Formats: sequence, C-alpha cells, structure tokens
Amino acid sequence: MKVIKIDKKDWARGLDKASGAYRLFGPVKDKECHHFKELDKGELPDFNFSNTRLSAKAVVFPQTEAMFEYSLDENKADHHVMKECGKNDAPRAVIGIRPCDAFAFQLVKRNFDNPEYRDPWWVKAYESATFVGLACKNPCETCFCTSAGGGPFDEKGLDALLLDAGEHFLAKAVTEKGKKFLQNAGWNTETDADIEALKKDAESKISSVVHTDRLKDKTTMTLYDAPFWEEAAFACLNCGTCTYSCPTCWCFDIQDETHGKSGFRMRNWDSCMYPLFTLHGSGHNPRGTKIHRVRQRFMHKLKYYVDKYGDGIQCVGCGRCIRLCPVNIDIRNICEKMNSYEL
Amino acid sequence: MSANWEPKIVAFFCNWCTYGAADLAGVSRMQYPPNIRVIRIPCSGRMSPKFILSAFRNGADGVWVSGCHPGDCHYLEGNYYARRKFSLFKNLIEYMGIEPGRLHFSWISSAEATKFVEVVTGVTDAVRALGPHEKFVKTNVKVA
Amino acid sequence: MSNYTDKIREISERLLKQGKVDMVIGFKKGTVPMMNEPCFVKKPEDISKLVWDSHCGINLANYLTDRKEKIGVIAKGCDSRNIVTHVIENKIKREQLFIIGVPCEGMIDRRKIASMFQTGSETEILSVAEQNGKIIVRTKDGEKTSERADLLQKNCALCVHRNPVIYDELVAEPVAEQKNIDRYADIREIEAMPPDQKWQYFDDLFSACIRCYACRNACPLCYCPTCFVDESRPQWVGKSTDPIDTKTFHFLRAYHCAGRCTDCGSCERVCPVGINMRVLTRKLEKDCFESFGWEAGLSLEQRPPLDVYKTNDPEDFIK
Repeated sequence: MKVIKIDKKDWARGLDKASGAYRLFGPVKDKECHHFKELDKGELPDFNFSNTRLSAKAVVFPQTEAMFEYSLDENKADHHVMKECGKNDAPRAVIGIRPCDAFAFQLVKRNFDNPEYRDPWWVKAYESATFVGLACKNPCETCFCTSAGGGPFDEKGLDALLLDAGEHFLAKAVTEKGKKFLQNAGWNTETDADIEALKKDAESKISSVVHTDRLKDKTTMTLYDAPFWEEAAFACLNCGTCTYSCPTCWCFDIQDETHGKSGFRMRNWDSCMYPLFTLHGSGHNPRGTKIHRVRQRFMHKLKYYVDKYGDGIQCVGCGRCIRLCPVNIDIRNICEKMNSYEL
Repeated sequence: MSANWEPKIVAFFCNWCTYGAADLAGVSRMQYPPNIRVIRIPCSGRMSPKFILSAFRNGADGVWVSGCHPGDCHYLEGNYYARRKFSLFKNLIEYMGIEPGRLHFSWISSAEATKFVEVVTGVTDAVRALGPHEKFVKTNVKVA
Repeated sequence: MSNYTDKIREISERLLKQGKVDMVIGFKKGTVPMMNEPCFVKKPEDISKLVWDSHCGINLANYLTDRKEKIGVIAKGCDSRNIVTHVIENKIKREQLFIIGVPCEGMIDRRKIASMFQTGSETEILSVAEQNGKIIVRTKDGEKTSERADLLQKNCALCVHRNPVIYDELVAEPVAEQKNIDRYADIREIEAMPPDQKWQYFDDLFSACIRCYACRNACPLCYCPTCFVDESRPQWVGKSTDPIDTKTFHFLRAYHCAGRCTDCGSCERVCPVGINMRVLTRKLEKDCFESFGWEAGLSLEQRPPLDVYKTNDPEDFIK
C-alpha cells in the first residue's frame, strides 16, 4: 500500500475526526512515566517517549476486569444469578503503540483465541481494536526485538504504521482496519516517501542480540535440571514487576467480591512469581521456592511456549523486564544460558 | 447526609472490663446512644490493626477500642503492649487523612458504668459531628 | 567508595579459603547502568564477580532470612541495622555471619539521574561513571557532570548511620556521619495538612501503584510465611487495583514495619513506578523516636519497641 503523508498541523484535526468513530487510546505522561490510557476529548497522545513504562496489554486485557455481576437480594427477580457485565466493545484505536507491544498481541492470541478456547472478553476487546503503531527510530540499549521475531518497524501486529518524520508523519496502512482508520481521520495525501532506509537504520541501532535458535532442540528436563537456576534466581525478590510490565504475560486470577448484597466476579493479573499462584487447597505448593518460580517464568517463555507453538519465543524483546527488574535479572543472559546449555 | 442519618460505630471491648461495664450500664438501666455495635475481644492486646481497618473498610463511621486500665490487665500486661500499638496506629491513620474524631480508645473497668456512658456518649457525638465516613470505605465499584 | 571492591574481594577470598564461611553475599556488576545484581560467591576463584560502587542500594539483609549456611555478608550502615533486626527476630544467628562492613557515603538515585534529562523527550542513560566526587552521566546526546552529593537517594541524603553498627571487619575507615540532618521535614508538612488534603495526597501518591509487591519483597522486614494480602480466610484486602485496597496494602505494610524500619530505601528504589512509600514508614519511625525514644537496629541487646512497654508510655489519646 502507498505511504500517506500527514502534516503535523493536520494531526489533531485527524484524531478529532477519528474520535467520532473510535475510542482513542494513547501514551500519556503521568508523573515520571508514560502509560496508555483512553484519551479524553481533544487530548493528544504524547510521543516523547521511548516506550511506555508498562506495556499496552491493559488496553485489551485490563489489570482488573469485571466479568460477571450478581445480587444476593432475594427481593430482586434475578438474585443469585451471575450476569455477564456489559462491556464497551465500540471500536477502539490504539495510537502510538510500539511494534513490539503490538506483536505481543499476536503471541498472546494463541492463548486467548484458539480452536479449543476463546476468551470472550479478550477476543472482543482485541477484535474491536485497531493498532496504529509508532515506529521506533531510537530503540533502547535493552531492546532486542530483532532477536525475538520483531523489529522497530515491524508490521506484524499492526493495522497501520506511523513514522515521525519531523515536520510530518508518514503512515502506512497494513490491514483493511488500518486503512479504514486513516480514512476516518481524513488522512489521504499519498507520497512516494520510502521508509525502507529508515527501517534499516533503526534496525542497525539494535545493539542487543540474543540467540534463541537452539532452544527448541534442548530436552525440557535437561534445561529444567540445569545448574544455573540457583544462581539466576538468587537475587530475585519474587515481585511481580517483570510479569506485570511484560506485554506477553497473560496469567490472571479470578475473585468474587461481595459488598452487602451485591457483588461481582472479576479477574486480576496474576504472576507466576507469587507463591500463591500455585498454592493448592491442601496447602502443598508445587512451586514452593523462588528457584521453582524463576525457572517457571523463563522456561515458559523460552522453552514450553517454543515447543507448544513451534514459532519462536514468548517474548517480543521490548526490554521492560530488564529495565524494571529491581535486582537486574536480565532475560538476555538467561536466554543465552539456556540456548547454549549442554549437559 | 440524610436528615435521619445515624453514625455506625464498631466498638471492640475487652471481655474483662469494658464489656462488663457495658453490661452493668445495661442492667442499671442507664441510657446511652444506641450507635455502637459491640465486638467482644479477650483483651485489648488482641486488637489487630486489621480489625480497625476492616471496620472502616466495611463502612463504619467510627471505631472505638476499650480495655482495662493500665496495671489491671487480666493477662497482666496485654494493654501495655496494646497502648504502644494504638498510639502508632492512630497517628498513622490520621496521617493518611482519617479525621481525628473517628477512632477512639479508652480504659474502662467493669465497675465504671458511669464512665462507660460518658465515653459512649462522647464517642457518638464526636463521630456524629464528623458525618458519614466515606474515605477508607471499600465500595463495590465495578472496574473496567 | 569504588575502591572498596579490592578490599571486599580480598576479605571474601580469605574467608572462603579459610573455610570460615560457605558463601559470601554481595553484588555483581549489572547489565544496565546504575544496576547491580545481588549475588553469592561460594568458590574463591569466583571472587572477581564481587564489585562495589554507588549502585548497591538493595538491602542484602533481605537475602539472609532463614539461611542455614555460614555467610559472609557485605553490609552498609542500613544493611547492618537490618542484620541486627534479623538477629533480634531470630531470622539468622549472629554466629552464622561474618559481616564485612562498608562505611557508606550514600547510593546514587537512578530516578534523579533519569530526571536530569527529562526535558521534553525521554533520554536513555548509557553509562554513569564516578570520579572525585563527581558523577558523569553519558547519553547519546552527550555528557553531564554533577556533584555526587546532589544525586544521592533521598534516604541516603537523610542518613545518620552511614557506618555499620555491627561488623567483623571494615573495608575502610569509618566515614564521617552527617550532622544536623532534619529527617522529617516532609513528614511534618503532611502532618500539618487538613484531613481531606492528606487523603488527597495519598490518593495521588499511590495512584500509579500496580500492586506488584516489589516494595514488600525488597524489604528485609517482610518475611511472613503468608502475607496478609495473600490471606483468604478472612480476606483482609481485595486483589484488584481498587484505590482503597491499594491504600490498605500500603498502610498495613508500613505499619508492619513500625519500629523495625531502618529507612534503607529499598522499597522506593525497587518500585517500578517510582512511588515514595517511605513517607509512611518514616512517619512511623518519627513516632517511634518521639514516643519511645527508639531507633531501629542499633543494638543487639534492646528489644524492639512493640515488644516492650513502659508503664508511663504516652496515653493522652486514651480516654
């Protein structure tokens, strides 16, 4: 498809037009970091960021999400009946999502939307979304997307790709959804601009290279029993920072909350770093120690997922867990250890 | 605030003293405001900060904890330990923005029915003056 | 302070070779600027892993809880105070430990350094070096040099116990303690607010919290087998990001540290969204000092303040 040129003076007007047809989400700075939120009328996404502190996954998969509601009031006709909570499934556009975060939805989709199981809330939210990505011109030192199957200009998870070219934006529709969004915003000035050179330039700036080629050939138990886990897990605090900031971590926990006679059933992000994650009703915990839990996180991302889907690791190389880990546990190092480990 | 609003106060009473004082006040036909919901505890030393927070989280307008006078603890020193915890707790919850008149502590022996009536009246008046408590209340707000 | 590395290695090697300890717990060089990773060394030949610089802000007492080995542990002033607390609370035996004391001049605040470059767009910090009391920060746009003293972690700037309170060997001569520090200026400001403003202040403070529990887990004081947030019968606090639940968590976490917190700053340092939850723990610290004359972790002989009482403790708040 042709590249479209958007003059920056048409930017706000275009978004305003699009907001008639879409709920707009975008990165906004709050206190010390950027995060994704639904934009208020007239509010513009702030692109002065390298990436948002947390990933964009909450746009589709909120940290706390109500699923059902119920009433225990016997005077009401439908008391003690679980009713699905109404959701706003109106089309939403996620403006300024980085290609890594958008690609992450493709990895997560295998879990939430497959022939055996379709998660209704995730699927509806995902299908309602148009991902208008912002190409990464200055990746961080901790980014390794090119080793994880993506790239700073990667289009795999996107419906449209935006590129900040100084005076103007360049936009490229990747899917029909993306094309529709650009039309809705009224951006249609075609140009012959070539983004390939910029793409090459950005890719060359990715300095972190992580090898994943041999993971699939390893025997699971060999990696599981490898001696490096004790050292790798030593520093871990078992906080949930890596999992909560990760765009590809999808685990959740279901809870009922009742207040007086009404209540709702909700799901909250959960983390394999927490002991409670695997605690059995009997009191037994199959992942009772820190080493178990740290190993689980990396084995899931870098081995079980690789084997189950046969299409790479469950990581997009956004580097958040590296930047945010309070004790500097670096997935790049662990991945190299796993990839090169021989019995 | 509706015109007929009445404060709800959760009162944690030590079994060995204030609980008895409340009983004595009752059998003596003394009048006092009916705004307290009494929870009997074995000793003021049994009070956990979670009990007070739970009361507030569940919509109590005030919380009142009462035990034996220092030196009179049935378990000799439970209330001495409790006193230190209460002092830090009260300071911290007020530091976070709960109004000073919502959380009360007292020492009332089982013979002090008159003091009991005075304090329950004082506590109720103080909480009533502040109006309904709306800060530390967990309402069932639906999210996302 | 960076010249401590050689001495730390020398002591650690000796301890391991003489078999005095089974392992040494210290820091190894991190993979990103301003980060070091807590690590252990069990063999003398691995000793070169150990480093020391201005980015060793994690409290190593946290790694001693319930360990059975004989351990050499590197301890700054605050770490040593938490080791004292651990010994008092029976989380480790003094005889198990060889404390390698580090006189500390404060750790560097990663957030202060990041904010030096927050002029509009975000700038990645490529490296941070230290030379003669100056900190040289390099980004792709160039270098900036600042006084080390201006870049200390907030808790370090207020620290009055820089030298270890207990140790078996010091890596250098004690440093001068900071004098005339007003530790509680910000606490008094909050205390002076009317209740509604206080409530607002804490609403805003915790609004970004994602309940990852990094603050709790980085804290050496938090070692309960089951934390109250994980209890389900009864469930004291909800699991969602409801602001009341978040506040309940932070309130009880801080209260649990009453009379035990040494203001090591680990909680704030590890927070992925930069919440200064120390305004709660320091309020308790202030009250413990003013009401009970107590400072945590200074002596193995004294019981902590909530474990003892005086018959004349303050009680003007009790009717």
